[in-house]
Amino acid sequence: MNRREFIGRAAGALGGTLLLAETGDLWAKQPSDQLNLAIIGVGSRGQQLMRTFLRVPGVRFAGLCDVYEPRFSAGREITKENTPIYRDYHELLAASGIDAVIVSTPLSLHSEHVIAALESGRHVYGEKSLALTAEECSSILNAVKSAGKHFQVGHQYHYAPWYRETLHRIQMGKIGRVTQIYAYWHRNNSWRRPVPDRSDKKLERLINWRLYKEYSGGLLAELGSHHISFANEVFRGGPESVVGSGGIDFWKDGRETHDNVQVTYRYPQGQTLVFSAITTNQLDGCQLRVYGTEGSAVLTERDATLYYEPKRRQAPEAQETVLEHGIVTGASYRGEMPYRGPGEAVSVAEGKQGNPDYLACASFIDCIRNNRRPEADEQLAWAAGVAVAYGNQAIDQGKRILLPQPTVSRKSIAFSNSV
Amino acid sequence: MSPTRSDGLFIQSRNAMGTVFTIYVYAQDGEEAEAAQEAAFEEIERVEEALSNYRESSELSRINRLAAQQAAITDPEVFTLLETALEYGRRTRGAFDITVGPLMRAWGFFRGEGRYPTDAELRRARETVGHDKVLLEARTRAVRFATAGVELDLGAIGKGYAVDRAVKVLSEAGVKAALIDAGSSTIYALNAPPQKNGWMVRVPKPQDRSQTVSTVTLRNESLSTSGVYENFFQLNGRTYCHVMDPRTGIPVQGVLQTTLIASDSTTTDALSNAMFVMGPQEAMKVLATLPNARGLWILDEMESQRLVEWRWQNCTGDSGRRNLTSELSENKGEQTR
Repeated sequence: MNRREFIGRAAGALGGTLLLAETGDLWAKQPSDQLNLAIIGVGSRGQQLMRTFLRVPGVRFAGLCDVYEPRFSAGREITKENTPIYRDYHELLAASGIDAVIVSTPLSLHSEHVIAALESGRHVYGEKSLALTAEECSSILNAVKSAGKHFQVGHQYHYAPWYRETLHRIQMGKIGRVTQIYAYWHRNNSWRRPVPDRSDKKLERLINWRLYKEYSGGLLAELGSHHISFANEVFRGGPESVVGSGGIDFWKDGRETHDNVQVTYRYPQGQTLVFSAITTNQLDGCQLRVYGTEGSAVLTERDATLYYEPKRRQAPEAQETVLEHGIVTGASYRGEMPYRGPGEAVSVAEGKQGNPDYLACASFIDCIRNNRRPEADEQLAWAAGVAVAYGNQAIDQGKRILLPQPTVSRKSIAFSNSV
Repeated sequence: MSPTRSDGLFIQSRNAMGTVFTIYVYAQDGEEAEAAQEAAFEEIERVEEALSNYRESSELSRINRLAAQQAAITDPEVFTLLETALEYGRRTRGAFDITVGPLMRAWGFFRGEGRYPTDAELRRARETVGHDKVLLEARTRAVRFATAGVELDLGAIGKGYAVDRAVKVLSEAGVKAALIDAGSSTIYALNAPPQKNGWMVRVPKPQDRSQTVSTVTLRNESLSTSGVYENFFQLNGRTYCHVMDPRTGIPVQGVLQTTLIASDSTTTDALSNAMFVMGPQEAMKVLATLPNARGLWILDEMESQRLVEWRWQNCTGDSGRRNLTSELSENKGEQTR
């Protein structure tokens, strides 16, 4: 199996009919079906995951692990229980009565924590991006296969009903052949979290880990990975090359990761993904603009809209018009102003609505209970994670990078060429 | 810890929960202020994403879709807020009611208009309204509706809760003094500006916000004001406003504005609404159960407006009172004119 087939297989699974609904008996279980979760990394994202998992019937938290003391009270405030706390993740993993582990630690720690949790015999919900380096991404892939446990990555937009519906329409050919995706995540803020004691440099690096290269893949990892993963679905495979640029051009506050990045991925069929993240203007917000030969799809965090290209006249009709009636002379060139009219809202069927975070978390629990493979599995995670890692290399080295072609077997994956 | 004279005041506003939230922060520099404000706005957005009934993706919308068919399990935070809201419903004998939506719709209020519903419409709406229609099971955090058609609307408490959460975030970020203003209807003052006893908040005269009825110095307390200034309609010679009395199914008459000061914004947001519905005499019994609560009503008495105060001490009267008749229900001697 080559790399494209490998990624395409994961993408194909998602493009099918696995749309999950929040209603029904899918996750209504007996009390004996209680699942005990533990979490490593109780920061802001971890806390949100905890709240969301606690909306799924029969889920309880049996352990909170962090290295920053205030996170324990924050976590217990969410569970409203005296949930056991651990300052060392080894102790948490050694504890009994834990069915699955959520890993929401800084990116550089993902591989260590995910692999240890898998090796302890637990299913894992791991935050995106998969890991900091391509090698670490592959190590996680191997560990999932070896452990025989379920792994789901935190690319929750794959579960967003309007994403699924839009993807379905794209695959039905509603906007023709997709040639380009322009993806934005534009903000106007420092991307910095408050630190209670700013003189404490260790605490600054702990809380603002996203700003330091030792721990973080920056904007491309934290924001771009969502868009890359969606593009991989649309293009049914991963990119083959990447160029990029970025800089610390505005927020010169000691950070090490860029405050703006622009990355262009080329896909094998001549398709392109352009990703831009900036932190000085939010006009465009978070959106994906999918351009096809017959229309466009614009996806945001809450909805999606389709736009159609002007109809091309058929050749016989045009010929008849021109030959019989001639053409009319007139003044001026019409110009190429951007389209500013309405689009066609992508509606989600009754009973198919839902919050992406909830659907992702509920789906993970359902996969454990029913031994079903997660939609956003390790293969999908690997494809986006590796693209992020090489995208950052392209930015740092200022040159075009070819993404490696993996050789894949059921048990392992290894790179056949280095870059 | 209090802010010092060297600290500066930094202000940011964002649209959230159908209004504009403004956060005033004292900080050493813009970087410190922005990080704290950004975290607070993120928290407000998180609360809106959980509680909005305008967003299909919210947790409240999920509960509304499910709870008439099956038990909707929710997280402890949302469940606790629902418990609190229903408790306020019981304490106000139904004047505060998070199930009032169908009545609002029957009267055309969601479309920004007003119409008298037919008897059948009113009867149908009332069959789905009432805090007794919401069943909570604490052990499993299950929410169930007693009948189809019930819908939860946390619009009269959610902003206050979001303010409380934002205050917590600012405190944990080490902010020494801040004011959070949710569309001017709910305001929380965290500590005080440098060299001040608190943050000054003016209560305006209804329908003329340029005139001040009372000036309050707020510190580590919340103030909420409920009022109807524009949305009135007349039917059969009566003037109705767009605030519903869930107990009667008929909009409130005779109240223009209520203001409540208490320890937290969840309470002031919810109970300033209930004060509006209940009127002074009934509401004072509820306010008496709250520590350090103070209340202010402005009533519409056809030819004049009447001010009713309850424990409204340490607040300064202002020029806007000149055209109001006044009634002091408690602590008359401490009233400042």
